[in-house]
Amino acid sequence: MSEAATLLEVRDLRVEFRSGLETVHAVNGATFDVRAGETAAILGESGCGKSVTAAAIMRLLPQPPARITAGEIRFDGESVLTMSRPRWRQIAGRRIGMVFQDALSSLNPVFSVGWQIAEAFRVHGEASRAERRRRAIELLDRVGISGAATRVDHFPHQFSGGMRQRVMIAMAVALGPSLLIADEPTTALDVTIQAQIMDLLASLRAEYGMAMVLISHDLGVVSEVADRVAVMYAGRVVESGPTREVLRRPSHPYTLALLRSVPGGKSKAQKLHPIVGSPPDLARMPVGCAFHPRCEMAREICTRVAPPCTVVEGASGATRTVECHFAAEVASGRVA
Amino acid sequence: MAASPEQSPGDVVLRVEGLRKHFTTPGGFRRQPVVVRAVDDVSFDLARGETLGVVGESGCGKSTVARTLMRLDEPTAGRALLDGADVFAMGPRELRRARRRMQIVFQDPYASLNPRMTVEEIIAEPWDIHPEVLERRERPERVRALLESVGLRRDHAERYPHQFSGGQLQRIGVARAMALEPEVLICDEPVSALDVSVQAQVVNLLEEIQARLGIAYIFIAHDLAVVRHLSHRIAVMYLGRIVEIGPEAEISEAPRHPYTKALLSAEPRLDLDAESDAAPRQRILLGGEVPSPADPPSGCRFRTRCWKATELCAREAPPLTADPESRSRPPRLVACHFPESDAGS
Repeated sequence: MSEAATLLEVRDLRVEFRSGLETVHAVNGATFDVRAGETAAILGESGCGKSVTAAAIMRLLPQPPARITAGEIRFDGESVLTMSRPRWRQIAGRRIGMVFQDALSSLNPVFSVGWQIAEAFRVHGEASRAERRRRAIELLDRVGISGAATRVDHFPHQFSGGMRQRVMIAMAVALGPSLLIADEPTTALDVTIQAQIMDLLASLRAEYGMAMVLISHDLGVVSEVADRVAVMYAGRVVESGPTREVLRRPSHPYTLALLRSVPGGKSKAQKLHPIVGSPPDLARMPVGCAFHPRCEMAREICTRVAPPCTVVEGASGATRTVECHFAAEVASGRVA
Repeated sequence: MAASPEQSPGDVVLRVEGLRKHFTTPGGFRRQPVVVRAVDDVSFDLARGETLGVVGESGCGKSTVARTLMRLDEPTAGRALLDGADVFAMGPRELRRARRRMQIVFQDPYASLNPRMTVEEIIAEPWDIHPEVLERRERPERVRALLESVGLRRDHAERYPHQFSGGQLQRIGVARAMALEPEVLICDEPVSALDVSVQAQVVNLLEEIQARLGIAYIFIAHDLAVVRHLSHRIAVMYLGRIVEIGPEAEISEAPRHPYTKALLSAEPRLDLDAESDAAPRQRILLGGEVPSPADPPSGCRFRTRCWKATELCAREAPPLTADPESRSRPPRLVACHFPESDAGS
């Protein structure tokens, strides 16, 4: 896994939103990599900047109000942010696919799903009309929609939530992309349907050798599917590394606190440990470490100096990064 | 978490019998009205001080159960005996008195608190309806005491809902429900809209209140982990019916109904204790989706997605019957012709 080439590089990404007198710092220097073929998760709670980061990668940020003030996004070595529009149109869809949380508002209600899937082939000038239709049916069948030959002419409202999500996945993988960005793809779905969709994504990934960026708030989902995880808080990646290592031996107090706040441990007698307070107001970020007002381990230095990104050697030799002054102590369990 | 309170018949605070709620969609030009059987023959007991978790996927009827128990929707049939008195048969005056003893917390704290009222007005509003509970001059102090009891500050009383985060608003919702010191609190997805770190605050708060005041909860959620954490007993619903109900530990450890088993296995779990990655959990992937409650399958409603279904399941709806291996009293009930067993199946 570690030999695989880096497919997507995000370096020190900063995104602001201007509204009236306020400037909201949605992303404050996010850095992470995605390697070919792997599943990388961006894990965080609402407002941590995970979806804004995804939108920035897809060049979908509405500018204004959004503004990318710094940073670099490279896909397969090419800079996404400075790329010409025609060049980007060649890459988007063909090499990068995207799946959103809300399938209903991502699909066009006035066109049949078959038309929308075939659009990818049409835009990229592929195949004849009949051939496009045949391939749309094939894709619908592949994503598990029964009776694909008739369903292809149906409209989005005729599908259930889980089925619409399948349609969106069919659109996203139509051209066999090497990277799929999935922004909370199962959040709106029931658990049994969520399991179906995650299963489908896994089999498609294996089939196409596709890498995936999974954006999620769900620790369970992330722990089950992601090879590596980047934990975001207040617009920064506070900790990243192989999923199992990060979740088993977190080095950042936020990751640790997140894990302690969810039920699911063996002993139900254990009380949950909520994180005190609420996430920071992104227009008025705390000085120093953004997590310090809620951190049980915060000391004086945390209120003054933002912790640098430290690279630590993981158990398996894989690199982990962490942004905490006391990462070593957190990891060794000496604090808390 | 306290052990499940010992149940004796006198301890039942709420008994629900044969609850049905059918919605009829309006007919129209060339369209027959359709009857949606949102809740179809649901019965359960709620003991004093216990938490009954209700789980199931969208459309299973769990929220409709909550709404009909509060008579926010009128039930089609059935009885709900609150200490022996049927809530469904009550006139307006009796109902008002019953509601004092039975309160509800909703899913969306933003929508369930009036943005034009101060927190003090919101929490004190139940006393306008039930003035006998508290003398007017005692209200300001009680409001502030309630705020403190849900982990907020006394001076929050003068603020408006928009000045709070979602987790804080949900605590205000809990404080409002507690104002009348109810015996039963129905929580309809109270933490679903909250971030995990904040969810835990509300979950802990509910636990503390129960330990202190002995209130019984009906806790409705689709998040199984939270339900398992909070509940003494769990009812699993599918398409308007309870398919399995019993003690939390029995259901979590050895589900009997195939749907329960599939539901538990589908839940993504953080498994950090397992040091070896050798034994991955067996996941049961259910085919298809929940059928429409307007046109449920004949016989057992789960049969269209069940890997054990036979011709018998299509013909006869299995009744809720006691699981012979259940160690609890009252025993776990399962509605399946071919339930799983400890011996494996």
